[in-house]
Amino acid sequence: MIELHDVALEIGGHPLLSGLSARIGAHELVAVVGPNGVGKTTLLRALAGLHRTVDGVVRVDGVAIDAMTAFERARRIALVTADDVLLDALAVRDVVAIGRFAHHRWWQWRTREDDDAAVTRALDAVAMSDFGDRLFASLSSGERQRVWIALGLAQETPILLLDEPTSHLDLRVAHEILALLRELASSGKLVVCALHDVNEAAAYADRIALLGNGTMLALEPPEALLNDARLDGVYGIALERIRLPSGSLRIYASDGRRASQVSS
Amino acid sequence: MKPLAGLALVLLVPAAAAVSLLVGGTPLSIEQVAGALAHPHRADTLNVIVWQLRLPRVCIAATVGAALALCGAMLQGMLRNPLADPYLTGVSAGAAAAIAIAMLAGASAAAIPAIGFVAGLGAALLVAALARRGSGIDANRLILAGVSLSTLFAAIVTLAVVRAQSSNYAGTIVAWLAGSIAGRGWHDLLTTAPYLAAGTFLALLSIAPLNALRIGDLRARAVGVDVERAQWVILAGSSLFAASSVVLAGLVGFIGLIVPHLARRIAGSNAVALLPACAAIGAALCMLADAVCRSIVAPAELPIGVLLAFIGVPTFLYLYLRPATAAARSARR
Repeated sequence: MIELHDVALEIGGHPLLSGLSARIGAHELVAVVGPNGVGKTTLLRALAGLHRTVDGVVRVDGVAIDAMTAFERARRIALVTADDVLLDALAVRDVVAIGRFAHHRWWQWRTREDDDAAVTRALDAVAMSDFGDRLFASLSSGERQRVWIALGLAQETPILLLDEPTSHLDLRVAHEILALLRELASSGKLVVCALHDVNEAAAYADRIALLGNGTMLALEPPEALLNDARLDGVYGIALERIRLPSGSLRIYASDGRRASQVSS
Repeated sequence: MKPLAGLALVLLVPAAAAVSLLVGGTPLSIEQVAGALAHPHRADTLNVIVWQLRLPRVCIAATVGAALALCGAMLQGMLRNPLADPYLTGVSAGAAAAIAIAMLAGASAAAIPAIGFVAGLGAALLVAALARRGSGIDANRLILAGVSLSTLFAAIVTLAVVRAQSSNYAGTIVAWLAGSIAGRGWHDLLTTAPYLAAGTFLALLSIAPLNALRIGDLRARAVGVDVERAQWVILAGSSLFAASSVVLAGLVGFIGLIVPHLARRIAGSNAVALLPACAAIGAALCMLADAVCRSIVAPAELPIGVLLAFIGVPTFLYLYLRPATAAARSARR
């Protein structure tokens, strides 16, 4: 379980988010949405213990994350980041195997059977088992994204955090990845995932955290969040709500008009 | 790494050592060297050549080559920069400046290695302090601080050489800058042994973090690497290697920059295979180069740094650029 108690975050000395309080448990998929630059990435890094809070505390299973060693954190939390790095001459399996770092002591350099099994499971989960021997550099951006997710899965942690995991993926692969995250949450993992597409978040998440105006405005089930009028204000655009034949709600930008024009 | 390549690397070191023992101002036969090695206490000229002159030089050349190659591989891995070399951290330039000043000031020859060692580590600490950001090290700041301080130290050396022109010190300083193992013996190796041992221990500690750092600092952090701690361990280990090699052989270029690239082609980028491959290739290359330096213009000697650059750089460019063009051709097809 992750708990946030009145957490405040800064970036480069500038206040970014404050007053964040929440409690997220196992078996749950929480999507974090909000406009660009609102602090989704920083919040995820803070949840992973990789960004210091300036106020408040993040607890994982009751333990303050700042009190954990890097090893302890990496055995509880996996963070799949969005930035791309150049990797020369590294095969996909080698990249994913790096996720096993925290399962080894410093002198245990060789991969063991349990590492191989974890890497295979992770590659299977993202449908990349046929790519194990391929060079990472030869993959498309969507395939690379799946490898990064596999890296996080290979850590075999109860908590999985993902920063925009569908940003480079086509419709089908994005669906497959989100369905996988849904499945992981159903099977007991705690999954928190920053997404830029609110409808995508609504289709898969149990709850959606809306970031805006320097804080967390809401942490609600999709239906309630999509109906929340603050959504229009946060994105600065008028939104239309449309009920699909399946019964679920979706939002669309309404003819490109700004929220301020609509409200006036 | 393919088993055959591994075996070749394992055999490379004793083969280079054997060649290095055989050639020199007085060429020796295999029987002569084997006889001298088998009877270490025999008092004859042959034993003096093998035990007091050749063997310590072979060991020092191997140590310097291995230390510089390991240092280069560790820094390149940590900074994720293929241009990083052992002297990037200011170790060599700091040591050179201190030694040049010490020679001008009339310091005894016996004190020179110690002065070089302390000044080299001091310069590395200064560069690390300037490159510090938060509790870790910023790669760009490290490179900038290392390059700019090295330039400053090089200016001090030039000034010292100009000032020393009237005396015989200028030649000594220049010879030292060119890199040479001439006149070094067991004592020098023993003096640096504790620091080399400490460097080796830190290199072993660096293996797992170096592997994880291949996917970038942030992702390495996410999989559990204490990146700040790893950076200090790698920097300390590589500085000990560089400072020890400066004490043993002056400034020997080429090895630290280029051997890691050659080793990566043979052994891949996994530090478990890469670091031993670097040590083996660096040691063998340095032993062979020293053998050539001793024999090609005997009884005079060539500076090993100069020879390595003349032979090594064209060879490396050929090896390194050729497969890239082949790959580009196949990509076009």
